[in-house]
Amino acid sequence: MISLSEANQRSITRFRRKLSTAMVLVVSAITILALYLAQRNATATAAHDLQQNFQTELSGLHKVQELRHAALAERCRVLAEKPRIHAALEDNALDLLYPSAKDELRDLMGGGEPSPEQAAPSLHAKFYRFLNSTGEVLSPTNPADVGELHPATEAQLAFKKLPETQQIGYVWERTNTGDEIIDEVVGAPIFSTETGDVISALVVGFEPFEVTGRGTGAGMKSGIWANGRLHLPSLSKTGQTALGSDVTKRVTNSNSVENNFLVTVNAAPQLLFYRRLNPGSLFPPAYEVCIYPLADSMTQLHRLRWQIGGAGMLLLLGGFVASHFVALRFAIPVQKLALDSEKNRAKRRRADIALVSTRKKLQRSTRYSADASHQLKSPVTVLRAGLEGLLARDDFKPEIYEELSALLHQTHRLTGVIEDLLLLARMDAGHLQLESQPVNLSRLIEEWLDDLGGALPDLPELKIEKQFPPDLCVAGEKQYTSLIVQNLLENARKYNRPEGLIRVKAHRNGKEIVLTIGNTGPTIARHAQVHVFERFHRGGTPTDISGHGLGLNLARDLARLHGGDLRLISSENDWTEFELRFVSSLQMANGPSQNT
Amino acid sequence: MGYHLISIITMRRLAGFTTVAALLPISVLAQATVEGRVGLAKSHPAPVVAQRYEIVTRGGVLSTQPPLAVVYLDGSFRKPSSQPTKQIAQRDLAFVPPLLPVQVGTRVEFPNLDDTYHSIFSYSPAKRFDLGRYRPEERPIPSEVFNIPGLVTLRCDIHEHMRGLILVLDTRYFVVTEADGRFRLSGLPFGRYTLKAWVDSKTTREQPVELKSGVTSHVDFP
Repeated sequence: MISLSEANQRSITRFRRKLSTAMVLVVSAITILALYLAQRNATATAAHDLQQNFQTELSGLHKVQELRHAALAERCRVLAEKPRIHAALEDNALDLLYPSAKDELRDLMGGGEPSPEQAAPSLHAKFYRFLNSTGEVLSPTNPADVGELHPATEAQLAFKKLPETQQIGYVWERTNTGDEIIDEVVGAPIFSTETGDVISALVVGFEPFEVTGRGTGAGMKSGIWANGRLHLPSLSKTGQTALGSDVTKRVTNSNSVENNFLVTVNAAPQLLFYRRLNPGSLFPPAYEVCIYPLADSMTQLHRLRWQIGGAGMLLLLGGFVASHFVALRFAIPVQKLALDSEKNRAKRRRADIALVSTRKKLQRSTRYSADASHQLKSPVTVLRAGLEGLLARDDFKPEIYEELSALLHQTHRLTGVIEDLLLLARMDAGHLQLESQPVNLSRLIEEWLDDLGGALPDLPELKIEKQFPPDLCVAGEKQYTSLIVQNLLENARKYNRPEGLIRVKAHRNGKEIVLTIGNTGPTIARHAQVHVFERFHRGGTPTDISGHGLGLNLARDLARLHGGDLRLISSENDWTEFELRFVSSLQMANGPSQNT
Repeated sequence: MGYHLISIITMRRLAGFTTVAALLPISVLAQATVEGRVGLAKSHPAPVVAQRYEIVTRGGVLSTQPPLAVVYLDGSFRKPSSQPTKQIAQRDLAFVPPLLPVQVGTRVEFPNLDDTYHSIFSYSPAKRFDLGRYRPEERPIPSEVFNIPGLVTLRCDIHEHMRGLILVLDTRYFVVTEADGRFRLSGLPFGRYTLKAWVDSKTTREQPVELKSGVTSHVDFP
């Protein structure tokens, strides 16, 4: 008993532990999921906001650029109409081109340094160059007039073939101080007014527009990537080089017009956006590059992480407490359950053992009955044959014949007993297989009553009353149905009194056929009535009546095997009545169709 | 429009005649004459703008419209002691005549016959000059001497469509063809020469010719 409670205690502890673990797992999973989702959401929002900002800045830039380009295109158109420019280009007087254009383009170069606010619309150029008909740069006669350029920078202005539309490019320029800066150049074709062909191009260099980053406030840095290098003056040289190679890798690999990715600048995470500044240009591709510090969004993310983590911890703590109580609450019935189940188990074990031993006993006895019946059958047959042989002889005294015929009669009884025992044994062993088919009960009774009448010449005064409709059909095997009816009818006759009555009634009652057989005669004692269906019980009947106490038992077992039953209704006042129930054959025939 | 064109051609013919007539008394020793025909491009119905102007550019090639050619005897000949001054006027915002052949060293005047300013200039390698803005009553009439052989494109800085051509030649023997391409050069020295026909700024055809005294040779430029 102590060991049992210990085991229970252990299992309860185990259960509690499992419950707590499950709760911890669930709460942890929820927390992690929430953290993940929140982080993803925050990152996506931050990236989206920054990207939006970048796009806005760029589209503003784009508008200003368009203004500049439109003004420049108009300038080129007017320029091409000028006879001196035409003359210079068409009459092989390229040396006169720059002097001729100087007046026309004076305002492009003229004036002092305008403020950044004015720079955009005022079309203040740093330099300009004409290209000849093959796209090469025409060297100016007086570079001071058109903006001095390093030959390397000047070489970047050339085209392989003169463009038919305006082209935007970005070139590296080495300043006098040795710094390298980026210039935005716009190449505008000059069309001949006579032929409509492109006869030259004017390439004007400007200071590039800066993405101002007004929207994001401090921290945003912008620059231009061109020709594999990044110009981002607010970064250190090495920083520019490193970031430039990052952008170069991205640009050459993805080939997309714009994108963004995470970079680390000065050990701080930054979101880098880039977008092609001159899509479709004949000049080499250049990209606007903006880096936004992610510090703000990182701190926000950090805070969010702490909040969610804290909430998760609280939840976990609450979960622990709750799980503890819940486990306790759960554990009480579980404890009870464990105790009960322990008792039940013990009971069942005992029952199992009993069942096994009973089954063994039953099997043994069944086998015994079967063996015994078989063993008995042959000596009885031999005995009967011997007796019949003796009866055939005529040299005995008449009283010996009487004795012999009585003995022969006893062998017949013995055979009956043996056959009944064999049948019972087979039933007990579950070997009896029924082949159910409609059996006409009415006709069966009639036949047996006829036999009864014929076989009982000694009781001519016995009255038989029949109350049943013809063609009452029951479901069963004719051989055994017949045996039941025979047993009951024989009993009714055997235990009758002179001038007695046998009443046979049968009727259909729903799914059943109910047959009652009653007879006059000595009743069965009240205390014996409960044992009337037991084997070898003869209910204190007079010994002169033939019988061996197996008939009723056999009849009831067979009736039950057929799905019916046999019971004693009453036995008093000179009247004993049995009721037999069968399954109606009609019901059986209709059964399957009802099911479908 | 058609009438206008004819009047221009008539004027051109007159100019050609005066040139030939002016040469005649000088070349007393020259006896030979050459005549023939230059195969000129068919005068297509030109675009409206081009009909207004005599010099047209097609793919960078300058020519007259309707087409005319200048036939000249190639070679270096003695310069006359005094060369007559030639004129290219600006009338109705066009150069008249539109195409003028001159011998090296000739002075050409550019009288303004319009009621507006003109600013004649040239960026051509053969002659770069810029007369600046001037009115019709500008005196002396702005002029330039053309010393280098070659084609000079005349432009007006104010009227961008105006074009004129001066073909500066070494030779003194030249003539502008008729509208149908026929030409006649007389008073030429005898001997073996190359006769050339300037058709447009990129095309000059040539034929060998043997000139004999008192004989009219016939040379065609297909």
